[in-house]
Amino acid sequence: MGKTPGSAEPRFPGFDVTEQSPHWDATTTAVVFRRLQPAGTPVFFDGAEEGAVRALLDRLLAQDDEPRVDVFAVIDQRLAQRRGDGYRYADLPDDPEAWRQSIAGLEADAMLQFGRDFSSLAKQQQINLIETVRTHEGQWRGLPAKRVFSLWMRYACDAFYAHPLVWNEIGFGGPAYPRGYKNIGLDRREPWEVAENDAEDPVPWSSRADAAKRHHSGHLSPSASGGRAG
Amino acid sequence: MNGVRQRNASAWLLPNDGTRTNHQLRRDMRHFDLNETVDAVVVGCGAGGAVLTQRLARRGWRVVALDAGPFWDPDRDWVSDEAGSHQLYWNEPRVISGADPIPLGSNNSGRGVGGSMVHFAGYVPRFHPSDFRTYSNDGVGADWPIEYNDLKRYYELLEAELPVAGQRWPWGDPHSYPQSPHPIAGNGMAFVRGCQAMNIDVRIGPVAITNGRFGNRPHCIYRGFCLQGCKVNAKASPLITHVPDALAQGAEIRPDCMVSRIEIDRNRAATGVTYFHQGQEYHQRARVVVVAAYSIETPRLLLNSTSSAFPNGLCNEFDQVGRYVMVQGAPQTAGRYSEEIRAYKAPPPEASSEAFYETDPTKDYKRGFSLQCISPLPIVYAEHVVAQGHWGGVLREYMRDFVHWATFGALCELLPQAKNRITLDSEVDRHGLPIAHFSYSLCDNDRALMKAARQVMEDMHRAAGAEEAITIDRYAHLIGGCRMSSNEQDGVVDSNLRSFAVPNLFVVDGSVLPTQGSANPALTIMALAARAADYLDKVETHR
Repeated sequence: MGKTPGSAEPRFPGFDVTEQSPHWDATTTAVVFRRLQPAGTPVFFDGAEEGAVRALLDRLLAQDDEPRVDVFAVIDQRLAQRRGDGYRYADLPDDPEAWRQSIAGLEADAMLQFGRDFSSLAKQQQINLIETVRTHEGQWRGLPAKRVFSLWMRYACDAFYAHPLVWNEIGFGGPAYPRGYKNIGLDRREPWEVAENDAEDPVPWSSRADAAKRHHSGHLSPSASGGRAG
Repeated sequence: MNGVRQRNASAWLLPNDGTRTNHQLRRDMRHFDLNETVDAVVVGCGAGGAVLTQRLARRGWRVVALDAGPFWDPDRDWVSDEAGSHQLYWNEPRVISGADPIPLGSNNSGRGVGGSMVHFAGYVPRFHPSDFRTYSNDGVGADWPIEYNDLKRYYELLEAELPVAGQRWPWGDPHSYPQSPHPIAGNGMAFVRGCQAMNIDVRIGPVAITNGRFGNRPHCIYRGFCLQGCKVNAKASPLITHVPDALAQGAEIRPDCMVSRIEIDRNRAATGVTYFHQGQEYHQRARVVVVAAYSIETPRLLLNSTSSAFPNGLCNEFDQVGRYVMVQGAPQTAGRYSEEIRAYKAPPPEASSEAFYETDPTKDYKRGFSLQCISPLPIVYAEHVVAQGHWGGVLREYMRDFVHWATFGALCELLPQAKNRITLDSEVDRHGLPIAHFSYSLCDNDRALMKAARQVMEDMHRAAGAEEAITIDRYAHLIGGCRMSSNEQDGVVDSNLRSFAVPNLFVVDGSVLPTQGSANPALTIMALAARAADYLDKVETHR
């Protein structure tokens, strides 16, 4: 398994935050390493829902190739345990029900537009259907569209950006107790933090961001924008 | 610092062997009999309840403090991890509505001994003298029934007890802090650079994070996880700043106790509280009942405590319970710098400016905002990116650039409005108690302030050399819901935090604040609690 999700060349070459784990406290280490364990069988979503949810999550997080972070399993567990965030919008059912209804809505959209399951659509078709929900004003399939999209992203990001592989992707130092940090300030790194590969790939930020936006909206083929600049 | 240990020995009661909890002190804790009428029962053990409990115990009061959450042990219970800190927040069901519903949970609602300060960033500014007279000065908000000078002495006491580190403060009532300012890291440096480029006065601090050893609390290690509970014992929370002394002085703290109602006798006096502990119902009798459960649970408890004398909820004869709940407008703007910021290193709270705090007569809005630097960790930072409409590959690309972004935040004073309120929902919790329903809508002044703050932060980033700036509109802190006032038609408690309706019932938490300025509320809640304890000890008999 690579050190970052997907096959793109990493921005922080060789950075593996788990190599720091000898310097973490035992409680934190246990919590983080549990995320690296293989998932069990789904408990909240049924077999029919699973395909659509996995496809949705892959598109929300652009997990287009292996290795993937299994955010589906994290979200499935979380919904089964009814582990909410301490609030519910008055115009939205509670989180588990909102997930179920919105997945059914996505399947209905796919069937109506393409006559097929959401999971069997082409990536760009899936992206377009999701974007329709994100930009929809008012109610979508009986649910407030903006809250639905926000719910999906909240659960997806909560699971994805908690994973050590993803910390490697973004250069985040991860758990820091009891070690702490000693080199603080602009352009200052710990001995174990890794410099990004800008020197080899001097693409300015604005070009990188623009390329990602063009690729996402389907104006570039994946091969033309893959790799480091993608 | 001399004198702190004599009046509050908490920092010296913590272990000095690298562990963070004095288990012996907890094992030796005094236990009161349920049939005993204690001097005071306190509902909630956060900024208000814990300080009050410590103060009363010091004066020989027999005090029991109940908290719905656990008695935390930082070594065993807290992690250096964002997603793993979910249990620090009040995650029980609540409903939000209105034109601008306020998300709750991790952002503003704590549970367990130590309360929300367990996961607060650590900023502890004072309120300005003007905060106590916004209606007289500006025709907005409300005047407090007390003045700044009524709290000044308590601010000073608590700044020494926390203790607070920062530069001499030039705004409001100018004052200095007991500890010198912390060194700043990449995010703080970008913030200071932005302020200086815009000629905005800026200072380092004020933060309740030890800069040097304090008692047995060690120096901060610049770990960056202040919002996940400080495993170092460097960042202040009542769990380490007031609870140890309270226990040593004979107070009892009962964790995992969810209070369901306040009991009243036929003379409309409070007799104690009923609570659930591990599914069993208990009753604690007390001469004085203090509610310190914060802006949502305090009104909820009062509204749930109905009786023939108070059919619409306790202390609610004038329909004031649950009203005027406030948040602060807290837009945050991240800027992209060519340097590596690595904002996760060092505490999120570093530097701030109160240059825009007061009403500016040249603007079309009243009151103002403060500016602070904050450093969201990856999960929260992803919300910033998603708020721009980015997802999929664009989200991933922005997140891959995480180390280059510095984040500034504003706290805008949003005005109290009667319709922004807590009511009871038809839904019930696992104890069968109706849950809180929080409705919130902004007014025009609120929107104008948030827009102005956002503009200043975006300008600061560009002046500091950022290539791109992205803003997320959000909210921070809870205040109000049982406000203090000069009369019972306009509030729930008087200037001494005694309820108008029930003479031996007090509310001692953030819900009593009539306005909230642009300052983080923790220090002011603590100062109000210390003041209330002085008052209680003066006028109420104990034993």
